[in-house]
Amino acid sequence: MQYMLLINESEDAYAGENAAQVMEETLAGHMKLIEKLAASGVEWSGNRLREAHTATTLRYSGKGEGALHDGPYAETHEELGGYYIVDVPDLDAAVEWARMIPIPGAGAIEIRPVWPEDE
Amino acid sequence: MDARPRLIAALAAHFSDLDLAEEAFDAALAVCLTQGDPPDHIAGWLMSVARRKGIDIIRKRSAEFRAGDAAALIKEGAMDMGEVIALPDPIPDERLRLLFICCHPAIALETRAALALKIICGLPVCTIARLFLIGEPAMFQRITRAKAKVREAGIPFDLPERRDWPERLDAILLTLELAYTAAYQDAAGELDAELSAEIGRLAAMIADLFPEEPEALGLAALITLARSRETERIGQDGAMIPLSKQDPVLWNRQAIEQARAWLDMAMIKQQTGPYQIMAAIQLTHARRAFHGETDWRAIASLYDALMMVRPGPVVHVNRALAIAECKGAELGLAELDAVDANRLSNARPYYVARAKLLERAGENEAAIKALDSALKFEPPRAERLFLQKWRDALTLI
Repeated sequence: MQYMLLINESEDAYAGENAAQVMEETLAGHMKLIEKLAASGVEWSGNRLREAHTATTLRYSGKGEGALHDGPYAETHEELGGYYIVDVPDLDAAVEWARMIPIPGAGAIEIRPVWPEDE
Repeated sequence: MDARPRLIAALAAHFSDLDLAEEAFDAALAVCLTQGDPPDHIAGWLMSVARRKGIDIIRKRSAEFRAGDAAALIKEGAMDMGEVIALPDPIPDERLRLLFICCHPAIALETRAALALKIICGLPVCTIARLFLIGEPAMFQRITRAKAKVREAGIPFDLPERRDWPERLDAILLTLELAYTAAYQDAAGELDAELSAEIGRLAAMIADLFPEEPEALGLAALITLARSRETERIGQDGAMIPLSKQDPVLWNRQAIEQARAWLDMAMIKQQTGPYQIMAAIQLTHARRAFHGETDWRAIASLYDALMMVRPGPVVHVNRALAIAECKGAELGLAELDAVDANRLSNARPYYVARAKLLERAGENEAAIKALDSALKFEPPRAERLFLQKWRDALTLI
């Protein structure tokens, strides 16, 4: 089964006094995770996203055409910062990979099964 | 159908689908009921029919099902009678595994126990809704959603690794507590007659798996103590016999000893909790089988402790009864007056307690009124008969 691991993290965590160090450590964490994924033979993909302020949202009010807005869909304390897609047997395995994703400060990883093509 | 939980569990493990397991079992049972004589190896027979029915259901569900796949599946699932007779009975114990699956932390906390009660204990949704004090449609929706989550989110059908057990324990204990409550309230056996024994076995298994968890031991002790008096709870006329009127000689001493051993093990940890206190209360009652009398002072102080860790109107009512035994009916009644009967979703125990203390205080007419109030709350058959007999006796005086 494929699962998408959505990384919701606080961009503020990368903006403090020791911003460079936090960034370096987080990236190192991701590199470690990627190495583990490669070594395990799990099929995966994933991307880092640019900051939320670069987002453009096409918003639908329920009637008529969508209108473009500057900014991300959800105005929250955490922003969608990236994602992984892993192909693993079950939810517990997906959770195990999700736990290895580095999150500086507060945040959340949402784990969503990908709708299979044959269903 | 006492094999139901085991069969549902085995089918769920076979298909990795809770809904399908239930549907397939029901379909197999329907086939069984339309046949005249039940087959000898009924569990094995039901299992093989249910497996085939399950495949039928998968076929119906899948819109783009290809005929070739169907043929392959059916061939694989088919069994001739020779195989059916050879099928091992009892079927391996899958219930425990299923209990862990239903209590997976990816399912909303308030739904885990409800799902387990439906899948493992086979309780009807209306009974589960009553136990959780919510409406039946809402409970039905919760359970349906949880089953979909198990299926679509890919919650694994394996026993989780040991390090993941503790986070499931609370929901497991709650499930067993509520299941036993349902079985206990159903003294006249309107539900599955085997349910109580089944819950007793599961609680013992959990105690064995979690010897380091005092509350798991406490709950096993609590359920075992309640079960030790089970056969004495109902008289020959079908009426309930209250604890004080039961002959302790007839209680199951072996069960009492087992419960005492669990509770001793739990106490060593020195982490008290509601199940241990409730078990200690029941053990104090059980000591009447050995010492001939009840230590009400000890019971009253245990209820004090329970009021601190798990306060509630029912605990309050029981504490009032214990106080009455120690200090007289008047003080007990005063304590009962402090109970907010409006907070009780089922005020029956409150009115029964009132009737008892009013009778003791010599106020028979008021006692009869309290019994009438209690009877309005639709007691199960055995309790209703008991309350009516009591009322008749009071009217004759």
